[in-house]
Amino acid sequence: MRFLLRAALVLLALVGGTAAGAADFGALVAALPAGSYSDRAKVVDDLAQSGDPRALAVLNALAADDLKVMPDGTVVIVDDKGAAKAAVDGTDKGTPAADQLDRVKVNNAVRRAVRTAIGVLTLRDPDPAKRLAAAREALRAADPDQIDAVDSALAAETDPAVKALLAEARAAAVLKSDAPAADQLAAIKLLAARGDDAAIAALAPLAGAQNPEIAQAVKSALASIAETQRLWGLAQNVWFGLSLGSVLLLAAVGLAITFGVMGVINMAHGELVMLGAYSTFAVQQVIRLHAPGLFDWSLVIAAPVAFVVAGAVGVAIERGIVRHLYGRPLETLLATWGVSLILQQAVRTIFGPDNREVGNPGWMSGAFTLGQLQITWNRLWILIFALAVFAVLLAVLKRTPIGLQMRAVTQNRAMAANMGIRTGRVDALTFGLGAGIAGLAGVALSQIDNVSPNLGQGYIVDSFMVVVFGGAGNIWGTLAGAFSLGVANKFLEPFAGAVLGKILILVGIILFIQKRPRGLFAVKGRSVEA
Amino acid sequence: MLIDRRLGIFLAGLFVLVVVVPAGNLWLAGQPVPTYLVALIGKYLCYALLAVALDLVWGFCGILSLGHGAFFALGGYAMGMYLMREIGDRGVYANPTLPDFMVFIGWKQLPWYWWGFDHFWFAASMVLLVPGALAFVFGWFTFRSRVAGVYLSIITQAMTYALMLAFFRNEMGFGGNNGLTDFKDVLGYDLGGGGTKVGLMVLSAVALAAGLLLARAITVSRLGKVLVCLRDAESRTRFLGYRVEHYKLFIFTVSAMMAGVAGALYVPQVGIINPSEFSPANSIEIVIWVALGGRGTLVGAALGAILVALAKTLLTGWLPEVWLFALGAMFVLVTIGLPTGVLGALEGGLARTRRAPEPAEREA
Amino acid sequence: MSAPHPIGGLPTEALPQLYLDGVSRAFDGFKAINNLSLVIDKGELRAVIGPNGAGKTTMMDIITGKTRPDTGQVLWEQSVDLTKLDEADTARLGIGRKFQKPTVFESHTVEDNLALALKADRSPWATLFHRTTAAETARIDELLGLIRLGNLRDWMAGSLSHGQKQWLEIGMLLAQDPQLLLIDEPAAGMTDAETMWTADLLKSIAGERSVIVVEHDMEFVRALDCKVTVLHQGSVLAEGRLETVSAMPEVIEVYLGR
Repeated sequence: MRFLLRAALVLLALVGGTAAGAADFGALVAALPAGSYSDRAKVVDDLAQSGDPRALAVLNALAADDLKVMPDGTVVIVDDKGAAKAAVDGTDKGTPAADQLDRVKVNNAVRRAVRTAIGVLTLRDPDPAKRLAAAREALRAADPDQIDAVDSALAAETDPAVKALLAEARAAAVLKSDAPAADQLAAIKLLAARGDDAAIAALAPLAGAQNPEIAQAVKSALASIAETQRLWGLAQNVWFGLSLGSVLLLAAVGLAITFGVMGVINMAHGELVMLGAYSTFAVQQVIRLHAPGLFDWSLVIAAPVAFVVAGAVGVAIERGIVRHLYGRPLETLLATWGVSLILQQAVRTIFGPDNREVGNPGWMSGAFTLGQLQITWNRLWILIFALAVFAVLLAVLKRTPIGLQMRAVTQNRAMAANMGIRTGRVDALTFGLGAGIAGLAGVALSQIDNVSPNLGQGYIVDSFMVVVFGGAGNIWGTLAGAFSLGVANKFLEPFAGAVLGKILILVGIILFIQKRPRGLFAVKGRSVEA
Repeated sequence: MLIDRRLGIFLAGLFVLVVVVPAGNLWLAGQPVPTYLVALIGKYLCYALLAVALDLVWGFCGILSLGHGAFFALGGYAMGMYLMREIGDRGVYANPTLPDFMVFIGWKQLPWYWWGFDHFWFAASMVLLVPGALAFVFGWFTFRSRVAGVYLSIITQAMTYALMLAFFRNEMGFGGNNGLTDFKDVLGYDLGGGGTKVGLMVLSAVALAAGLLLARAITVSRLGKVLVCLRDAESRTRFLGYRVEHYKLFIFTVSAMMAGVAGALYVPQVGIINPSEFSPANSIEIVIWVALGGRGTLVGAALGAILVALAKTLLTGWLPEVWLFALGAMFVLVTIGLPTGVLGALEGGLARTRRAPEPAEREA
Repeated sequence: MSAPHPIGGLPTEALPQLYLDGVSRAFDGFKAINNLSLVIDKGELRAVIGPNGAGKTTMMDIITGKTRPDTGQVLWEQSVDLTKLDEADTARLGIGRKFQKPTVFESHTVEDNLALALKADRSPWATLFHRTTAAETARIDELLGLIRLGNLRDWMAGSLSHGQKQWLEIGMLLAQDPQLLLIDEPAAGMTDAETMWTADLLKSIAGERSVIVVEHDMEFVRALDCKVTVLHQGSVLAEGRLETVSAMPEVIEVYLGR
C-alpha cells in the first residue's frame, strides 16, 4: 500500500512536472525517498522547477545527508543536534533515535542534480550578487532541463548584468537540448558574442554537429571567440607591462633627477628605495601597536615619512660626499656605491637580514575583472601612484621657483651663481628631491616585493637602464622608457620566459645605446669642443 | 724603462713568496705554512692579476669597466668545464661523458659547446678566446659609437648582469645555480693534494708577474702613451689622426683576456665557479682594489687587490657584520680623500720629503 | 663666387686645397652653417672672422669630419669627399686642427707630445712596437727650436704656461706635417709680443701649407696680412683684404660696428 502510494506520487510528479508546480511541493518531497537514484534525480529537478522557497532548505539538507525518513514515512530534516523537523512544513518531530531514521540516499548523479537545482533556486535569490553567481553556475553546468527555470528567472530579473548572463546560460542550455535549429543558431550567436572560455565550453561539443549549418556557425563562433580572447590576452599583457612599467618608473624617476638633471650617478639609489620600504614597515609597526584602527591609512601616513627619511639621507649624501666630487662622475659612482653598502649593512644590523612583513591595507588587496581582464587593486594603485608622483615632480620642476633654480643650476652653474642662486643649497635640494622620490617608490614597492636589505639591489640595474634608454636629462624620456621597457618585457616573457626575456631586453638596450648613445629623447645640441 | 723601481720591488717580493711559501709548506719541518694559507695566497694573486687587468683599461685608458668580473668568470668557467670533463666517470652518476648536473636535469648528450673541453689545450685557449671575443664584440659596438664615461660603465654593468641571469638558468648547460664544482684533478694532479695547491699558487704568481710585465710593456710603449692621450684628451687624439676606438678595443680585449687567465687560475684553487661571480657587486669591488692601490700604477692595483682581499678574509672571519661597513667606507674615503691611491700617496709623500724636481719620468 | 686669387704674392697652383660649396648644417632648427661656400688654395693663408655664433667652429667641425653637414659639398684637393670621413681620417689626410682652448696631453712631456704628433703609422700595432728613430729625434729638436721650447723638452705639458701650451699645440700641428692647418684663436691669452711672433710663425708656415686662422683680434689679423673671410649667420658675408672688408657697410654693421 505504502509502496503503491509512493509509486503514484512519483508518477504524479513525473507527469505533472512543472505544471503541477508549487502546489505539489509536499508530494514531491514525499516522493524523494522513493524509487531508484535516477527517479530521485528527476524529483530533485522538479523541486528546482517548482521554484518553491522551501525547496532550497530541502535540497541543501539532501546534499548534506541530513534528509531522513521517519518510520511513518514523514520526510524530515535533522539538524546537527539530532532534532527533526518535517521537510514540508517545518513542524517539530522531536529528537528521534538515529536507528529509527532512514537516510535518503544519494549518489553522484543525484548530487549533481542537487547542485544544479540549488543553482536554479538561487537564481531567485533576493541578493543580486548571489543571483549572478548562480547564473554563472547555470552557464557552466548548462542543462536543458533548466531552460524553463532560467526562462522564469529571466522574466523576473531586473539587474541587467544578471539578465545578460542568464540569457547566455539559457543559450548554453538550448545548445544541449534538441531545440529547433533556428533557436540553436541564435544561441550560438549569443555565446559567440560572450567570447570567453565558458562560451567555448558550451560551443565546442557542437563543432561536430549533424546539421551542417550549426556546425559551420559553431566553427565560425569558435574562431571569433579565439580572436576575442587573443585580443583580451594582448590587453592583459599590456596591462602587465604597464604595471611593470609603473614599478620601473617609480624606481627610475628619482634617478632621472639625480642622474638626468644633475649628472650624478647615485648607486645608492636602490638603497634609498629600500629605506622607503623600511619606513613603511616601521610606520605599520607603530600603527599595529598603538592604533590598529588606522591600519588602512598606514600607506598614506608612510608616504611622507618615507619621503622625509630618504630625502634626508639623500641630502646628507650630497653634502657629505657628492659635493666633493662634482665633475668626476666615475668617482661619484664609486663613492655612492660605498654608501649603498653601508646603508644595506646598517638596515641589516637594525632590522635583521630577513624579509619583513609589510601588510596590504584593505583597499590594496583583492582584484576585479574588466571584461576578461584581471586587475589587482594593488597594481592599479601603484600605477596611479607612479603617475601621480611623476605629475607632481613635473609640476615641481616646471612651475615652482625651486624647480626654476634647479634647471638654472643644471644649465649654467656659474651664471646661476652670479645671479644670486645659492647653488650648493639647490644641489642639496635637488639630490634630496630625487632621494625622497626613491623613498616614495619604496612605499609602493613594499606592497609587491619582499622588504629585505637587498631590495634596492634588484632595481638598480633596471632603473639605470630606464634612464639611459629614455635619455638622461629628460624626465618625459624616463616615463616613455619605463613603460616601453615594461611592456616589451611582458610581451617577450610568453615566448622567451621571464629570465631570457629580461636578458633580451638588456642586450637590446646595450645595442640601442650604440645607435643612440644619448637615449630615446636625447637633448640635441651643437657639438662642443673637446 | 720596462722595470722601474716600484715594479722591481714588487717582482722581488713575488719571487720571495714563490720561494718561501712552497718551502714552508712542502719541505720545512712542522709545515710553518699550512696548505689552506697556500690556497688563500694563490687566490689573492689571481685577484691581483684581475686588478692589473682592470687598471690597464681604467687607469691608462679611462674606461671604467663595471663588467670585468664577467671576463674573470668566463675564464673561470672555461677552466671549470675542463675540470668537469676531467672528473670522467668518478661523478655521483658515474656517467663517463656527462657531468653530474647534466645527468640530473635529464640531458642525454653533451651539448656542442662542451666539445673539446676534455683537452687541456682547448680549454686553455678558450680561457683567452672567450673573454677576448666578448670584449672585442662588446667593445667594437660600444667604442665605435663613442659610448664613453658613465654610460659605458652602466652598460658594462648591464652586460655582466645579463650574463649572470643567463648563467643562473639550468638550460644554459653550465650547472645553473650551483655552477661547476666537485673537481677531482687537473692534468692528472689531485686538486686536494698540497703539492698541487703549491703548484697552482706558484703558477698564479708567475701569471701575475707576466701580466704585470706585459701591462708595463704596453704602457711604456708609444701605444701606452696614446692610451693616456685619449684618456686625458680624446678629441685632441682623434685630431692627431689616431683611431681612438681601435686603441680602446685593443686594450679592452687584452685586459679581458688577462682577466680570463686570472679566473682560470682562480677556479681550481677555490674548487668552484658559479654565476654569482658575474654579479655586478663583484665587478665594482674590483674597482675599489684598483682605486685603493693607486689607479694607473699597475703595481698599486695588484697591492690594492691583495690588501682588500686580506682585509675581507680577516674581517669576515672576525666581525662579519663590520665588513660591508668597512668596504663601503673604503669606497667613500678612497674616492674623496685618496684619489691617487695608497701607492700614489706613499710615493707622493716620499717625493715631497726628498724635494724632487719635476716628476717627469722619461721612458724610451 | 669669384675665383680666389692669391694675396701677398704667395705661389699658387690651379687646384684648390679645400672646396666647400652650399654647405648647411642645423642644430634643432638653428642654422649654424647656412649655404656656406669657401675655397682655400694650396699654400694660402686665410683669416676667418665673424661675431660669436657666426658658425666658425661648426665650419671647422665640418672640415675635420667631426660634424656631418646636412647638405652641401666638402672636397679635399677636388677629389676626396670630406663629409664621409671622421676626425682621424681627415687628420691622416693632412688636416691639422688647433683648438681654441689649448689642448695638449698634460700628463706627457713636451717631447712626448711632439713625438706622438709626428707623422707616422697610427695603427695600434705600429705604435705598440714603435722605436724612436734618429730622424724623429732630429725632427723633434727642430720643432722644439721653432716653437721656442727647447729648454723645456722634459717638462710635463701640464705645467706649461698658457702661451707655451699654444705654441706646443702649434708645434704638434706642424709635427703632423699637414697640408692644411685649422687654427682657432691662436692669439688668445698671449702678450702683444707673443701675438706678433705667432703671426710671423703662421706666415712662415703658409706657402708650403694652407692655413685657416679663426681670430677675433683685429691686430693679429692685420699682422697676418692675408685675405679675410667674414662669416655671418653661417654664411660668407664678405671676402677680401682686411682694409677692403672692414670698409664695407654691412660688415661694419654686423661685426665691427657693434
